[in-house]
Amino acid sequence: MNLGYSGEEKVAANLATVWAFLQNPEKVGWCLPEIIDVTVQDPTHIDAVVQVAVGPVRGKFKLKVELAPNPAGRRIDVKVSGGGFGSAVDLTAGADVTDAADGTTLLKWSGQAVARGPIAAVGGRVLEAQAKKLIEQTFANIRQQISA
Amino acid sequence: MSTEVKHEGSLGVAMKRKEDPRFIQGKGRYVDDISLPSMLYMALVRSPYPHAEITSIDISQALKVPGVKAVITGKDLDAAGLGWLPTFHGLDKQMVLALGKVLFQYQEVAAVFAETRGAAADGAEAVEVEYKPLPVVADPFAAKADKVILRPDRERKTNHIYHWEVGDKDGTARALAASPKRIKQRIWFQRCHPAPLEPCGCVAQFDTMGRLQFYVTSQAPHVYRTALAIVTGIPEDKIHVISPDIGGGFGNKVPVYPGYVCAIVGALKLARPVKWIETRTENLTSTGFARDYHMDVEIGATAEGRVTALHVATTADHGAFDAAADPTKYPAGMFGVVTGSYDFPVAHAEVDAYFTNKAPGGIAYRCSFRVTEASFAIERAMDILADELNMTAADLRRKNFIRKEQFPYPSPLGFTYDSGDYQKTLDTALEKIGYNDLLKEQAAKRARGELMGIGISTFTEVVGAGPSKHFDILGIKMFDSAEIRIHPTGAGIVRAGTKSQGQGHETTWAQIVAEELGLDPQNIMVEEGDTDTAPYGLGTYASRSTPVAGAAIAMAARRVREKARKVAAHLLEVAEADVEWKEYKFQVRGVPAKSVTMKEVAFAAYTNMAQNEPGLEASYYYDPPNMTFPNGTYVAVVDIDRETGESKVRKFLAVDDCGTIINPLIVEGQIHGGLTEGFAMAFMQEIQYDSEGNHLNTNFTDYLVPTSQETPHWETAQTVTPSPHHPIGAKGVGESPNVGSPAAFVNAVMDALSPLGVRHIDMPLTREKVWRAIRDAEAKKKQL
Repeated sequence: MNLGYSGEEKVAANLATVWAFLQNPEKVGWCLPEIIDVTVQDPTHIDAVVQVAVGPVRGKFKLKVELAPNPAGRRIDVKVSGGGFGSAVDLTAGADVTDAADGTTLLKWSGQAVARGPIAAVGGRVLEAQAKKLIEQTFANIRQQISA
Repeated sequence: MSTEVKHEGSLGVAMKRKEDPRFIQGKGRYVDDISLPSMLYMALVRSPYPHAEITSIDISQALKVPGVKAVITGKDLDAAGLGWLPTFHGLDKQMVLALGKVLFQYQEVAAVFAETRGAAADGAEAVEVEYKPLPVVADPFAAKADKVILRPDRERKTNHIYHWEVGDKDGTARALAASPKRIKQRIWFQRCHPAPLEPCGCVAQFDTMGRLQFYVTSQAPHVYRTALAIVTGIPEDKIHVISPDIGGGFGNKVPVYPGYVCAIVGALKLARPVKWIETRTENLTSTGFARDYHMDVEIGATAEGRVTALHVATTADHGAFDAAADPTKYPAGMFGVVTGSYDFPVAHAEVDAYFTNKAPGGIAYRCSFRVTEASFAIERAMDILADELNMTAADLRRKNFIRKEQFPYPSPLGFTYDSGDYQKTLDTALEKIGYNDLLKEQAAKRARGELMGIGISTFTEVVGAGPSKHFDILGIKMFDSAEIRIHPTGAGIVRAGTKSQGQGHETTWAQIVAEELGLDPQNIMVEEGDTDTAPYGLGTYASRSTPVAGAAIAMAARRVREKARKVAAHLLEVAEADVEWKEYKFQVRGVPAKSVTMKEVAFAAYTNMAQNEPGLEASYYYDPPNMTFPNGTYVAVVDIDRETGESKVRKFLAVDDCGTIINPLIVEGQIHGGLTEGFAMAFMQEIQYDSEGNHLNTNFTDYLVPTSQETPHWETAQTVTPSPHHPIGAKGVGESPNVGSPAAFVNAVMDALSPLGVRHIDMPLTREKVWRAIRDAEAKKKQL
């Protein structure tokens, strides 16, 4: 099941603050919704465990997250892959980071996800809305964490 | 001499099923009821990816799960020479556990053995497998391009598995070109699944003598024993296969599945019994599916409606391995029966099969091999031709039926039909259902804009595989067998190489023996499914039990009778030549008052046998001279709600001709069950995959099985045209309703929609599909 999303978040912080946050893998990791555990492997790789509930499919997903921040290009790309209980997801997301010149920063993001296994079949009816919510929540969490 | 009450015969008697009391009381003994001391449980790790390279498998965490005893992977099996197992017909092989890559979603990747079912499941969850996704080929038309070769392990580097054809290609092309009328339609028989109520499972145990005791849900226990000996190298005498009660099979329990091999390996490795029972999801996603034939059907005809030629070109989706359940020499099964009940002067059929990233299969789901798809194709196409010619479906069929005087009928695609009276069967059906009144009602409704359809299917199937000169599985000829022992008191036991999964063999086999020997069927015990006691047989599927094993039972009983005749002659104090079998007892020829019953003879066979060999038993291995050709006329009447697209089957009549009827009650029950499955395929069921190869129907919420709420009321009737070559004239019936009914339902819906110009919709005819067809047709009409 192929899913595509996009959106934007306005962060109440300047560009430098936002970049500092985005380059901290632990902080980014804890912005994943329903996060249970984050283990930083190196500055661009983390292992994360999240609680997943899509329709009747519920359990823990183990994810490998790869961050590719590019300050010069003012863009960060994220690759997430992993799964659990016989299901798998592969997600790529990217955000263009723009200085809004009023002390705020704009995160204009888009992402694609591929879901496989029971999560795609059993959760099929609600997966699209649920995945959208989770991605939106991730960027909303980033906004909140930086703003806090 | 005889004081017995006159025996009235057992054939054609509507006896209640002898097996039902134990099933109704919940006393059946299924594989999952078997529990052995110190038994372990097995769970399988399955792939979430439909096509991916396996980069690593880490079992360390699984081994830490409390209760987990061992984990095996494909590499472990490969090292032991058990990496692959041959598929049903021996023309391909299938990975037992994934080796290097996975080829379909839910493919078996590792097996976990643990003290409890829960621990095994937890252990399976803890196995960490890393995959590198590969491009997915999710439909056979994409597979044709060979852009991604799915099976590099094979010598031929192509997704094309085989091309099979039969008939006169050039002659058919010429006849079609010369035909004044032609129709051509792509007809897809969707991928569906038998979904037996009891999923597959097994218990494997090596006993104190080192002998494998293998309890399994198998429709063909002897074939399993031989296949396991071949695959594992265990001598065949050290393998004991037991199929206990089975909760439905429908072809799904014919193949040997990877889980069975894993359970045996686990039992050997851990020296403890191992049980493995599939979940519903595992059954629907990884065991043998049925159909998935894309059939391009072309018929030529004269302007008056005489058919001149038939050509069918099929693209078949076989999934990741060629595990289609077909006899060795018939990769497309009996698809050659696609000319159906009609006298085509010339025909040509061809099938091209392809690998895709889907579950393997192509089993004979309640039909002889590939017969349901063939029957559906011709019965749909005949309706389309009738529409083209502006004839009624009944008139077109009448005009083209094989006439009863043409039997034995050599079909243009190589079969010799044994017997039939198609005209009579059709007439019986139309009269019983009130066809003329229905036509009048339909005309009135159409005038009011209502959608009512009448669907006819006049099918012929080919069953009873089969004659040894043509049919084998893994080289083993497709005969079947029976062994009968009559005890001193006139009771007895019959053992057969078949295995009932709901067909009622415990009753029908007893009736055949009772009929042949003049005994009480209530005292004839039937035993099947135990390879230590039953004679070697090829099992129960493809409607072969009555045509083959039923014949073996009748012939074995006749051998018993011949032996009994000698004892009867001794008791009657006459020469053997003066003894005749008449009115279910031995009589002195010309002196009917002087007679002995079989019961009396049985006692004498153990107590007063004179110079004759003691005992009364015989066996018979029956190699059928031909297949049998059950047929029928099914009529469905549907009303369609224009606003919702819902098709309501208001009336359904099945008139079957299955030759001699052994037990009318069982025949009726078989027909009810098969019609319900046909109804499900027509309106509800499809195994769907998305473009990423995700299986979308993994449970009974998404793969629908009709309940009594949805199931229409079935009416049945019979005509009887005995098979001339079967010892009792029986043809078999269990699969006819599944073969014949889908076309009747679909033809009825298309007939209802024909005023809108809708000619064909592929199954399943869901409300949404029908509603969209109505909406699109109405929009098109408005544009004109």
